[in-house]
Amino acid sequence: MSTLPPVPIQCPKGHPSLINQMVYPSIKLARIHLNKDKDAIDHYLAMNIKGLSKQEAAAYRNSYKKNICIDMLRQGYHKSFSELFTLIQKWNALREAAGPGSAIWQQKSLEEQPDKLDQLHHFLTRAEAAQRAEYYEEVYCNQLNLAYCFNNPEDKWLRNYFYEQCFHTAQLIKIDGGKKEAEAHANIGLVNEEQGQFVKAAEHYEAFHQLTMGRMWKDETGHTYNSLACEHLWRIYTLLADKMLENKEHQQAIKTLIKAFEMAKEGGDKKMEGEAAYCLGLAYHSAGEEQTAIINLNTYKEISTELCDVVGLGKAYQAIAKVLVSQGKVTEAIEYLEKFVTVAESAHLSRSLMDACISLGDIYNERGNYYKACGYFNQAFEAAKTLTHLPLVDETKVYYGIAKAHNMMVAVNGHTEAADHVSIEYLLAWKKNRSDMCADPFTVELAQNTSAVLETHEPLLQTPVQETL
Amino acid sequence: MNVQQLVPLALPRGRRLACELCGGPAQLRCGACGVTYYCDVDHQKADWVSIHEKICQLLIPIRTSLPFFNSEKERKHGMEQLLHRQKHLVDLTHKVAQKFVFEGKHEEAIPAALHSLRFSINIYGQDSMELVPAYLILAEAGTGLGRLTQADDYLSQAQWIVLKTSDCSKGIQSKLHRNLGLLYAAKGHFEESLYHLATDIYFASCAFGTHDISTSGGYFHMANVFFRQNKMDIADSLYTEVTDIWHAHFSRLIQVQSQTFTSPAEINILSEDVEISEEPLSKSNFQYLLIINLLLLLLLLIELRQV
Repeated sequence: MSTLPPVPIQCPKGHPSLINQMVYPSIKLARIHLNKDKDAIDHYLAMNIKGLSKQEAAAYRNSYKKNICIDMLRQGYHKSFSELFTLIQKWNALREAAGPGSAIWQQKSLEEQPDKLDQLHHFLTRAEAAQRAEYYEEVYCNQLNLAYCFNNPEDKWLRNYFYEQCFHTAQLIKIDGGKKEAEAHANIGLVNEEQGQFVKAAEHYEAFHQLTMGRMWKDETGHTYNSLACEHLWRIYTLLADKMLENKEHQQAIKTLIKAFEMAKEGGDKKMEGEAAYCLGLAYHSAGEEQTAIINLNTYKEISTELCDVVGLGKAYQAIAKVLVSQGKVTEAIEYLEKFVTVAESAHLSRSLMDACISLGDIYNERGNYYKACGYFNQAFEAAKTLTHLPLVDETKVYYGIAKAHNMMVAVNGHTEAADHVSIEYLLAWKKNRSDMCADPFTVELAQNTSAVLETHEPLLQTPVQETL
Repeated sequence: MNVQQLVPLALPRGRRLACELCGGPAQLRCGACGVTYYCDVDHQKADWVSIHEKICQLLIPIRTSLPFFNSEKERKHGMEQLLHRQKHLVDLTHKVAQKFVFEGKHEEAIPAALHSLRFSINIYGQDSMELVPAYLILAEAGTGLGRLTQADDYLSQAQWIVLKTSDCSKGIQSKLHRNLGLLYAAKGHFEESLYHLATDIYFASCAFGTHDISTSGGYFHMANVFFRQNKMDIADSLYTEVTDIWHAHFSRLIQVQSQTFTSPAEINILSEDVEISEEPLSKSNFQYLLIINLLLLLLLLIELRQV
């Protein structure tokens, strides 16, 4: 700084008419000569003195974000720059809005993650270059790559943003018959589904389906896009229907489920079709149309048999039985449930077996056949034990206890009502040694004993083993 | 313009009178204020046209010695008043210089800008941030006149001040780099010019946002550089960006205007047109000029498309 004079207020610097008349003090003159050679001096310094240039020095002083931005702008990628800049600002605004203490507050800003900035720089500039040349496929690919780059949970917002960009770009691509557009629709649909906006997601999936109809496009895993669309649609329709059922809009739910079923059929995946039929059956059941429900559940049963899907088969039997029970056709229901039990037993499916046994036990319990109910509940209890799932074991235990109590009530009531000498003898005998479970079937335990049993698990754990049924 | 001949021999001893513009020995004096000296009529005329006409009378209280004050309080008041007057002069001269630069009258801008710089130095000292705007105007005028060495000089001063001040405002930094960019573009060093313009856009975006009219200037100059480098696609894309920004800006203005009418029936196209064109005009000449620039730009774009 000291080499430069303090105030450069010498002259209006070269009025062409005046410049010759001006009288400069010798120092100023020298300086002007010096200035004339400034470029030469700069050149000399750059050649002979190895140091940092102004730009290099600035690069060291600046933040990484600033360097990247300047680098992009220098090459004329202004759109990439404004995109990156807006993204960073958007994130900061989100963070400010969330306030300290929120999850986003703990995260690192984009500015502090050079590798991510690098990725953004790389793909954004390439996309822009392609856009200038109007190669929209290239733009699309780069944007999609960016979306893939940010596929971890904390960068979801970036991924969603780039999916949206892809979507806008894809609409400009006309040559490929809408393949890219279809992909973009599918991606946006996924994003919407993830955010819980099922109606929007359904719209996008429908567009995806429309575009892929009759096309042979395949993804990397060999699935055709059309079947993928069907799968997405089936899933989203089922989700939508679930919501409607929660709000008791049965007819709407059924309509949606019918659409889901049709999609599943079109998609050609038998398992999916079965599931759709099952859901539809359940919906019909809750709407009170039992006959239609059974038809659909039968479809599911057939498909499950075809696929040797034992779990599915079991589910079908169970659901049919439930519908039959609500129709009052108990014997048929029992038939189905027994089939279910055999299926479950043969396949060693403890869970299904347990479910089936509980259903059967329930039915027998309700009809007053406590002996049989006891038997099935016992079986359910055994199945639950093999599952080693404590809450389930407890639940079956309670069922078993209830049935058992009901069973005993009959005998005890009989004895008390008879009120003759023998009966009283029996009752007294049982009363004396009830602690170790009377083996005599006539002197049965009192209801109070079972209620005690319900509270403490230990004696019940022994009962099924000891009892002969 | 009132010219008074001086007789240098009659001046008090040891008091050298310097020309207002070039600092050479003074031969003339402005007769209106009596405190401004010039080496010849040409310099006086240049100063008069640029700034002296407006500040002639204002200079008298500043350049004459302070009257004698009786009390400390009065003295203080007098000093404050002097400072206040100087600050006012800085503002005035700066505005006048800026106006000349915007109008493209670089020659006239220089004396005004020099005054602005001189008063700033008087008030704030050598290394103050307040000097930067004055340096920038001088540099811009210098670049406009093709005196690149001088412009470079002024910009170096400004850059040095900015570098030393850690918390420099983004707007100033943006302006500085824009001027540097223009200077290098004028010199034909396109790479450096692009670097500085890029920095300008970055700072302007930080200060005003990426799609502000203040940022559009950087895009526009950058487009010009790419245009000169014959990279038409980039230039085209940048020009489009600039027109987009301005289009959005004017749409907003029109919207604000049309909202002030009570009912839509009152708006006819003619009156709206008048409003639009008057609005920026009344705001400042700067905007008016930019509109003209914009129209030129549109023509350029059309030309480009045809190529």
